[in-house]
Amino acid sequence: MVKVVVAGGGWSGCAAALSAAKAGAQVMMLERTDMLLGTGLVGGIYRNNGRFTAAEEAIAMGGGDLFVAMDANARHRGVNFPGHNHASFYDVSTMEPLVKKVLQHYGITIRMKTRIADIVKYGRKIQALVVDSGEVVDGDVFIDATGTSGPMGNCLKYGNGCAMCILRCPSFGPRVSITAKAQVKEIMGQKADGSYGAMSGSCKLNKDSLSGDLRQRLETEGVVVLSVPSNLARNSTLGKKACSQYAIAEYATNLVLIDTGHAKLMTSYFPLEDLRTIPGLENARYEDPYSGGVGNSVRYLGMAPCDNTLKVESLENLFCAGEKAAIIVGHTEAVITGLLAGNNAVRHCLDMKYLELPRALATGDFIAFAHDQMATKDGLRLRYTFSGSVYFERMKATLLYSTDRAEIGERVARTGLTDVYNRCLV
Amino acid sequence: MNRRLTASCIDINTPYCPCLLAETNHCVFCSHLRGQPVCDCNWGGVCILYEKQWQPKNVMAKNGGGPSRTDELGRIVRREPLGKDTYLLEVAVTEELARGLEKTGAFVFLRRPEDPQFFHFPVGVMKVEGRNLQMVVEAVGPKSNRVLEDQAAELLVRGPYYNGVLGQPWIDNITCGKILLISGGMGQAPALPIAAKLAANRNEVTAILAPGHVGSVFIEAELVGLGVKTHVVDSLRRTGFALVTGRLGDGAEKPDLIVSAGPDEQHYGVINAMQAAGLNLPMAATNNSTMCCGEGICGSCTRETQDNRIIRTCKVQTDFTQLL
Repeated sequence: MVKVVVAGGGWSGCAAALSAAKAGAQVMMLERTDMLLGTGLVGGIYRNNGRFTAAEEAIAMGGGDLFVAMDANARHRGVNFPGHNHASFYDVSTMEPLVKKVLQHYGITIRMKTRIADIVKYGRKIQALVVDSGEVVDGDVFIDATGTSGPMGNCLKYGNGCAMCILRCPSFGPRVSITAKAQVKEIMGQKADGSYGAMSGSCKLNKDSLSGDLRQRLETEGVVVLSVPSNLARNSTLGKKACSQYAIAEYATNLVLIDTGHAKLMTSYFPLEDLRTIPGLENARYEDPYSGGVGNSVRYLGMAPCDNTLKVESLENLFCAGEKAAIIVGHTEAVITGLLAGNNAVRHCLDMKYLELPRALATGDFIAFAHDQMATKDGLRLRYTFSGSVYFERMKATLLYSTDRAEIGERVARTGLTDVYNRCLV
Repeated sequence: MNRRLTASCIDINTPYCPCLLAETNHCVFCSHLRGQPVCDCNWGGVCILYEKQWQPKNVMAKNGGGPSRTDELGRIVRREPLGKDTYLLEVAVTEELARGLEKTGAFVFLRRPEDPQFFHFPVGVMKVEGRNLQMVVEAVGPKSNRVLEDQAAELLVRGPYYNGVLGQPWIDNITCGKILLISGGMGQAPALPIAAKLAANRNEVTAILAPGHVGSVFIEAELVGLGVKTHVVDSLRRTGFALVTGRLGDGAEKPDLIVSAGPDEQHYGVINAMQAAGLNLPMAATNNSTMCCGEGICGSCTRETQDNRIIRTCKVQTDFTQLL
């Protein structure tokens, strides 16, 4: 029996666990907090711009379970807002239990509140993960889906301090990188000014604190754009944002609110007193206990050097997924890397050739492009996503962007990867 | 009890953290405060870098960069000979200091008010009664002699310090267990608060006591009062360790935790007894390192561990068996 251990239960870890289980492995997933999905618990936006193509490719490859779950739990579909078309928003307040059920359906063992503190490594091979209670969890192959944000010291040094975000480090302890514990030197993302890290790109307001009219518009239309008074325009903060698809000039002069269950505000943080000068937000407050007026989590501190199969360099049996795999933004991106890492982890144990997604597919081109760019100095200061910025431009230029399901399905068929994630390899 | 005793700093989550080591980029815990670019700690509590951020700046300025203990004047209220050159001292201090010392492994530094700071030396606190500290001091060198001579009425007391027992978390966390406590000579002073803590947590404590070179067993009555079963032997070397080995070999008497309060030679004797019995039990042992400053700075208490780390035993907790 192939035993795969996934470290981290964010979207990428969930996708990796799912993919490994579908390929026939016995899978255990360890999550530090008491909820899955990680920062996806405050995410919600998918199928916008090139993410539509990426999601449909994953579905055609047989890894669509999580996208199907999101679609089933969507609050709004086909929404357009500045710079973005045909977006869907899943309901962040009800998504997590649904994903947990999907994973349990595949027989994945999920251990919550289980924080990894260390690893056991012999030579180039990881033997086991050590939980902070001292318990040793062994496996044949491991997937590092621990993310790159937090803990508090990093947010203090490279951001505005702990904003009590959904990662909840003070309650559940610090995130530990498997790659770093294996003494592999990690790659650090940078802001436009060259300092390390980038700040998460959105914060969430309590919907009941909005004016009645605003709340109603948000719930019916899914999105509301408010203009920012000129004295509060914030061009200088855009370069610090993780989500470069929202770091465009329109977001400096407008406030975009999105209905994901909370009122998601598409800016890293916004001082509360200033926010309350905007009509409709006179009584606004951030979702408890989050300090959205002060700052947000800092991420991209510690990506694993890996090839396009997502195997971590210089280790035999460690794969990585999500932000750990490249400077990528969003849960669509997390899911497609997770699916690949999970499948390749099983292939490792069976001595099979690793799967590398071809560049004829948007998902394959995306992973390869992000890795190529990360080798350059300027590339480390950019973020990569299907939904905007440099990569969406590239998708359009190379004609990889498509919203035609049939066309995307054919494209996947031409590469011979139809249902590749649905095949039991063991 | 299954929790591993990872090297951790005894001052974490006290008013004395972050300390001068953090200020000088040598924090034993926080990677940022050791000059590293990103987080790499395993501390599940309040972030030390954060604590440093919030530390009142006036406290920092006053103490040259970080919170450290201050000397305060204590009045000697009792001086009682216990053996050759050994005295029980009872010193009245402030309420705050007395409360701060009600902790396993607590100790203070003592000196005469008129002496320079480098005359101070560490002394374990045997008992806190109200505002009075009971300590046992043996006149062995220039510093301890100064405190005992001339019928001094007052002493400077600096504290509280906490790392007097290696394996302190085991003592604090075990409940309803079976404990074997071995104590000889001056080690009786730290053994008393350890036994009190263990008894308070409903543990069944058996103590093997020897007079050592102090020449008397002075805690037996107190231990009996705590419900501890005591066995007094003439010498640990001659009869005590055989008794220890015997108890370890007896399945019904096998302890969950073994505590050694005394010199390092005694600790090694206990380890040998465990090895002879083929056991590897959790062990707590008094910290006998030479200390001059107690703040992690002077380096006199550094010890090397089996995995080649140099640790400052005035602050860092470790398993005694890990020390070389």
